[in-house]
Amino acid sequence: MDSIRLDNILFNKVTVNFDDRFTLSEINWSIEPNQHWVITGTNGSGKSALAAVLAGVGDIENGTISGLPKNVGLVSFEAQAELIAKELKKDDADIMDVISLGTPVHEMIFDDCQDPELAHVLVEKFGLSKLLDRAFRKLSTGETRKVMLIRALSSKPDLLILDEPFDGLDVDTLAMLQAHLASIVDTTPMVLVLNRFDEMPDFITHIALLDKKKGNQGRLELTVDKSDERAFNELYQLLHLKTTDLSVPEADPTNKLPALDPNQPLVKLNQATIQYGDTIIVDKLDWTIEQGQHWQLSGPNGCGKTGVLSLITGDHPQCYSNDIFVFGFQRGNGESIWQIKQFIGYVSTALQWEYRVSTSCKNVIISGFYDSIGMYSKSTDNQKKIADQWLALLGMTDRADQPFNKLSYGDQRLLLIARAMVKHPPLLILDEPCLGLDDMNRQLVLALIERICEGKETTVLYVNHHAEDQIKGIENHLGLKKNN
Amino acid sequence: MANYFNTLPLREQLAQLAKCRFMDSSEFADGVEALKGKKIVVIGCGAQGLNQGLNLRDSGLDVSYTLRAAAIAEKRQSWKNATENGFVVGTYQELIPTADVVLNLTPDKQHTPVVTEIMPLMKKDACLSYSHGFNIVEEGMKIREDLTVIMVAPKCPGSEVRAEYVRGFGVPTLIAVHEDNDPKGEGLALAKAYAVGTGGHKAGVLMSSFIAEVKSDLMGEQTILCGMLQTGSILCFDKMVEEGIDAGYASRLIQFGWETITEALKYGGVTNMLDRLSNPAKIKAFDLSEELKLIMRPLYNKHQDDIISGHFSQTMMEDWANDDKNLLGWRAETAETNFEKTPAGDVEISEQEFFDNGILMVAMVKAGVELAFETMTAAGIIAESAYYESLHETPLIANTIARKKLYEMNATISDTAEYGCYLYNHACLPLLGDFMKGIKTDVIGKGLSTEDNGVDNARLIEVNAALRSHPVEAIGGVLRGHMADMKKIV
Repeated sequence: MDSIRLDNILFNKVTVNFDDRFTLSEINWSIEPNQHWVITGTNGSGKSALAAVLAGVGDIENGTISGLPKNVGLVSFEAQAELIAKELKKDDADIMDVISLGTPVHEMIFDDCQDPELAHVLVEKFGLSKLLDRAFRKLSTGETRKVMLIRALSSKPDLLILDEPFDGLDVDTLAMLQAHLASIVDTTPMVLVLNRFDEMPDFITHIALLDKKKGNQGRLELTVDKSDERAFNELYQLLHLKTTDLSVPEADPTNKLPALDPNQPLVKLNQATIQYGDTIIVDKLDWTIEQGQHWQLSGPNGCGKTGVLSLITGDHPQCYSNDIFVFGFQRGNGESIWQIKQFIGYVSTALQWEYRVSTSCKNVIISGFYDSIGMYSKSTDNQKKIADQWLALLGMTDRADQPFNKLSYGDQRLLLIARAMVKHPPLLILDEPCLGLDDMNRQLVLALIERICEGKETTVLYVNHHAEDQIKGIENHLGLKKNN
Repeated sequence: MANYFNTLPLREQLAQLAKCRFMDSSEFADGVEALKGKKIVVIGCGAQGLNQGLNLRDSGLDVSYTLRAAAIAEKRQSWKNATENGFVVGTYQELIPTADVVLNLTPDKQHTPVVTEIMPLMKKDACLSYSHGFNIVEEGMKIREDLTVIMVAPKCPGSEVRAEYVRGFGVPTLIAVHEDNDPKGEGLALAKAYAVGTGGHKAGVLMSSFIAEVKSDLMGEQTILCGMLQTGSILCFDKMVEEGIDAGYASRLIQFGWETITEALKYGGVTNMLDRLSNPAKIKAFDLSEELKLIMRPLYNKHQDDIISGHFSQTMMEDWANDDKNLLGWRAETAETNFEKTPAGDVEISEQEFFDNGILMVAMVKAGVELAFETMTAAGIIAESAYYESLHETPLIANTIARKKLYEMNATISDTAEYGCYLYNHACLPLLGDFMKGIKTDVIGKGLSTEDNGVDNARLIEVNAALRSHPVEAIGGVLRGHMADMKKIV
């Protein structure tokens, strides 16, 4: 990539409609080729939507946009989810009796690649060399993200749009990516969508702040030139509003779990191993979680964090070939997976992808009582009341009956966190819960976790990458290393 | 081995064909109890084998896999599927003698050699389960007298069987007991527990018979499901190209059109599929389908007669014995059709446009579904079975065509379905020759050119009434209602 090929992009009173789910209204905006922007704002204000407009998504109802680039490199959760959904659709295990292996990573990266040389370098830097032959859909969340980034970076884009590029990346990868972005500032104009203000790279020159309007509408509230210090500081203040006093809604007293023996650990993994062919993902891990002993789990992408968690939740098929004791059950002795899951509240990015059923926001919260994705039983009045309390806490009362799959990524995430907490489970597993949340909601969620840690009924297992997202009350730490 | 169905007296044949009952959820109150502590050994680790096994194990049951010694020694894909999921894997000799229940989830064609090989190894009084009754009914396999023989067949692809279970739900499932092999009268209890173990009881279970399952399944797959869609694809494509429509557009309209229009069928039956059309187009589609039904009815009758008499399976098995000469020849021919060779063009077709420009395709689906249903019920198959094997499964094949077109669709469906599909296609193409001469782009490719959407009231009322009063709509309403009740988002 030698020189900037971007013209001025000019939005003139633009109103964009996204399948009638969401509208960005009356946007006036100009991006010049030598600028690098951050788009920020609250959850549901249309940050990702505005970025997507730059990539040609959405129906323009009013106004004009000129200068949109032809070749856009786009990395976002939506694009990632779409790619994964596409891969799942290729799973031809239907009428025929074949198990599809999916597209291998090297094909995802090198087919249609504009700059294979760069792609090779990035594969090496991102540590994906060993995964090139693995099926794309078998990758972990962080690994898929890396593949998306390499595809975009090596596509010689006129404009690079990165929607939450740093979420889900471990510390080393994060530093590497930031360094790489800094090295291409002179040739590649960039637009970053960031929820976390503190992640803003130094090379950013402008900030666009979006705000949520009534209904499903977003508006471009203001744009700030970063060199204008006063304006910048005001914006910073605005985004760091403190959360007020809050309390966690009560559990459902009619929902009775079998009693656990207080003298036994909640979880005991003995020499736990996950292995595919000759590849060992988790190697002989011993781990005991006592009741009331809160844990933080961390480690680089691909070190098997999700694998370890799914051994505990029973979602990993190899939980049956390991020595695992959970909630009084030695696994593989005739217990059903629902007997295990009743003790667990769980949230993760993978869950969010799997939660692809059309149901209302309120039902998503209530489904936490049933450990189901979607609702297949009648809910009780008590459960509905508790769900309403959670919706109020999240400021989403007005959306109780709206379909879950029409919400923004961040709003969906908040509901899934409520779903995980709603029954006050003996074990609450939060796998990078704050991914996709704006600063305010992140504070809210961290405060909620703190409250839950203070209580006696729930033991918290918290996974995160961000060193600053420390939670008071979590004193035990397990760091996993990459196994190759 | 003699065709089992043909050994029965007429009275018994009719009774077996008429078996199919939607079970009440209270009948599953015992859960998986009947299988608790029993050793379940699965033969075959393809999509059904693996995913059913995962579900059964997550329901607290003891599941392991048995594969041929060669598959284990060479670490074939089936071996990897089973071991990477943490299952015990062993040879027939190692595991079959220990099994209380053996689930035979291999392809139909392997049933005779597989069952012949494992039967002597099976424990006395154990249970053998099938997911398709071809081997018992058509090949007349005799199972040892002490063994209990049941069938449990989830009516969805293996990947969905797993995905729905993980969500906390399940997929509709058909169960049956082979009455000649139910020495201790425990077949039904075992089949019910198996259905619970895979999550099927949450989505609805049909109690059927081996015979009803086989005779209706064969009829559905060779006529409306695969045959009609194959013939329709070839005819509609060639017609559009002949009439000057861009070949890329035509290819896309067909490849993705079946999926789009049958999605409407899945949700609201034939009525809803036609309701997606404008009033003039609906009347047009109705008239075309009436004409098609008149022309094709003798063909549907012949298929059903050959299935009932055993002629179909006999000729197919002769081809199996002849190294699949016919099957492979016909498969190669499919690859050479113009539709297959023309990739879908890079044009956008909106969801509604598939209906508006595909009136003939809608008419073909309607004619095929109704004829298959009418023919099956006339042959003594009960409406519930006929519905599942015609209307309910059509979207699955349409979905496969959307992803893989005809050649791959045929290569991936079961051999019985593929063989029947070609028989149908070869007979149906010439049969519709004259009919197609009268077809223009208004019903395939471009849509009606009428500026005025007006129709005659009396005629519209007639057409709507005919659509809504067809028996496939009556039973469809009831069965879809059951499903919706169970899946209702409260």
